[in-house]
Amino acid sequence: MSVPLSTVPTVRAPSGAATLPSDWQTLLLIARRAALEALRDRITLTMSVFFSLVFPLIMVFSVVRPLAGAGSGQDGVLGTVLAIYVLLIGLLPTTAAVGVACGQFAGEKEQGNLAPLLASPASNVAIFGGKVLGAVVPAILFSAVAEIAYLLAVSATIGANKLRLLPPALAIAMLLLVPAVAIFAATVASLISSRVRTFNTAQQISGILLFPLWGILFGVAFKMGAWGAWTLALAVAAVFAIDAVLTVVAAKTWRREEVLAQQ
Amino acid sequence: MIEAQALTRRFGESLAVDSVSLKVPDGAILALLGPNGAGKTTTVRMLAGLLAPTSGAASVSGIDVRANPAGVRARVGLVTDVPGLYERMNVGAYLDFFGSIYGLDPTTRARRIDELLAFFDLKAHQRDRMAGFSKGMKQKVALARALLHEPSALFLDEPTSGLDPLAARAVRELVVNLKHSSRSIILCTHDLDEAERLADEVAIIRQGRIVAADAPAALRAGASPDTLVRIELTAPFPAAQAALGDIDGTSHLALCSEPGAEGSTILEYATPHPRRVNPLVLARLIAAGAQVVSVTCTTRTLEDVYLGVVGGESQPAGEAVGVAVGGSR
Repeated sequence: MSVPLSTVPTVRAPSGAATLPSDWQTLLLIARRAALEALRDRITLTMSVFFSLVFPLIMVFSVVRPLAGAGSGQDGVLGTVLAIYVLLIGLLPTTAAVGVACGQFAGEKEQGNLAPLLASPASNVAIFGGKVLGAVVPAILFSAVAEIAYLLAVSATIGANKLRLLPPALAIAMLLLVPAVAIFAATVASLISSRVRTFNTAQQISGILLFPLWGILFGVAFKMGAWGAWTLALAVAAVFAIDAVLTVVAAKTWRREEVLAQQ
Repeated sequence: MIEAQALTRRFGESLAVDSVSLKVPDGAILALLGPNGAGKTTTVRMLAGLLAPTSGAASVSGIDVRANPAGVRARVGLVTDVPGLYERMNVGAYLDFFGSIYGLDPTTRARRIDELLAFFDLKAHQRDRMAGFSKGMKQKVALARALLHEPSALFLDEPTSGLDPLAARAVRELVVNLKHSSRSIILCTHDLDEAERLADEVAIIRQGRIVAADAPAALRAGASPDTLVRIELTAPFPAAQAALGDIDGTSHLALCSEPGAEGSTILEYATPHPRRVNPLVLARLIAAGAQVVSVTCTTRTLEDVYLGVVGGESQPAGEAVGVAVGGSR
């Protein structure tokens, strides 16, 4: 070290603790770092770019375009399919949130870089909430890109006027279900990730739990075309309510010492 | 000031830390020694507000670790043997992130980061991602992170692990400087020489209990007051034992030939009174015609003490001992 010790800045008398940021500010700091970290991860980035830019095009060319060519008698079906694909196209990039969430706890624990954050004055709620938000935000951004790519591809291949076939209530419900399901997936994955030892275990358990749920959701989505606007609104609100309860309960019950006790 | 009273931590049925009591005033360093799994890290985690004790009490700078663990965490700096960095980040952004978490305002943050990067010779790497750093550089960043908020107590777990000798020496000097600036420091180390050089007091933990604690010199003296004296003679001297046998205060007298040194002989003995005995022995030897090449005196090392205490791993840990650095026990 080149600087003589007489100039070492740390020999001042210890200061009292600075005014700590609020839980919400800390949560946002942690989320921002986690989101940026996720965006720097090549695997997450490659997967997200594929699902948000390439996959919508594949779906439009392989399913939507042939269906649109079947004639105007199929307009009702086409409208429902276009709406359900809003959910599918939006949801696939959010699978990245599961990987990111698994990396946030179990992955960092394996790499040994969770300890400094646990040793900081950040509260359990701020750490857990920040990590969930950090996993969700990039996934939702990629979902937004995917939805835009999808709508542009639909407009370019079958004509922008066909977008009028989208049932408004169903389309909005599908669009809102994307962040709702992403938050649910990230919270569940974070819960699991914070309670297991390795990234692989977290991913496997999250996959086992979430993939069947996604399957059920798609199954229900096909039925949702027949639901009225209020029923759809209630369904979406119910998913958001489950998210809120799950996130709050998970954040409140998560204890940093559970992580340390496993090490 | 770091204080603990009968601090205990269980993980299920396993007793990780058993009634540890210690007191480290401001401006003092306590070295915690012990084999892997002895309970050092768990003790440090409890004192740093990361892990709630199962029973017992502890405080750091007067703040109770049970009642206000976040307050404790805001006032301590912790460095573990694993630097634990977000390696995709660059150094400046990493330290800025932790500075924000500790509530440093932007101006203070920038100044502290600047000072610490200069001190740790990392200024040129401020914008480099840490993934490509050596272990030593990563450890420096971890130390900088722990010092950012000017903590009043420091917990250093193997802080010089992986550092080159020059950097390790600078870190040791930094630790001493921090001590002189009224920080309480707990140092976990396997480097007994480092413990001896830095610590005011050494506590040896075994099976979750402090089984020996004192100033390094007192521990050495307590383990054995004897000085081992080794005298090299130019030639075999069979009369040595007869010449020295009646000198009071010597034990374990032995003669052996020095491997590799042709003809020379080594005379060894142990004595608790080297200042009185050694001149007498030398006078006798010279009077009897022996030619002395060298005299070496060795006292017990901390390593001897440590191995004596933790050597028998299967043995029960024995009575717990309290530690009070620079104070009464």
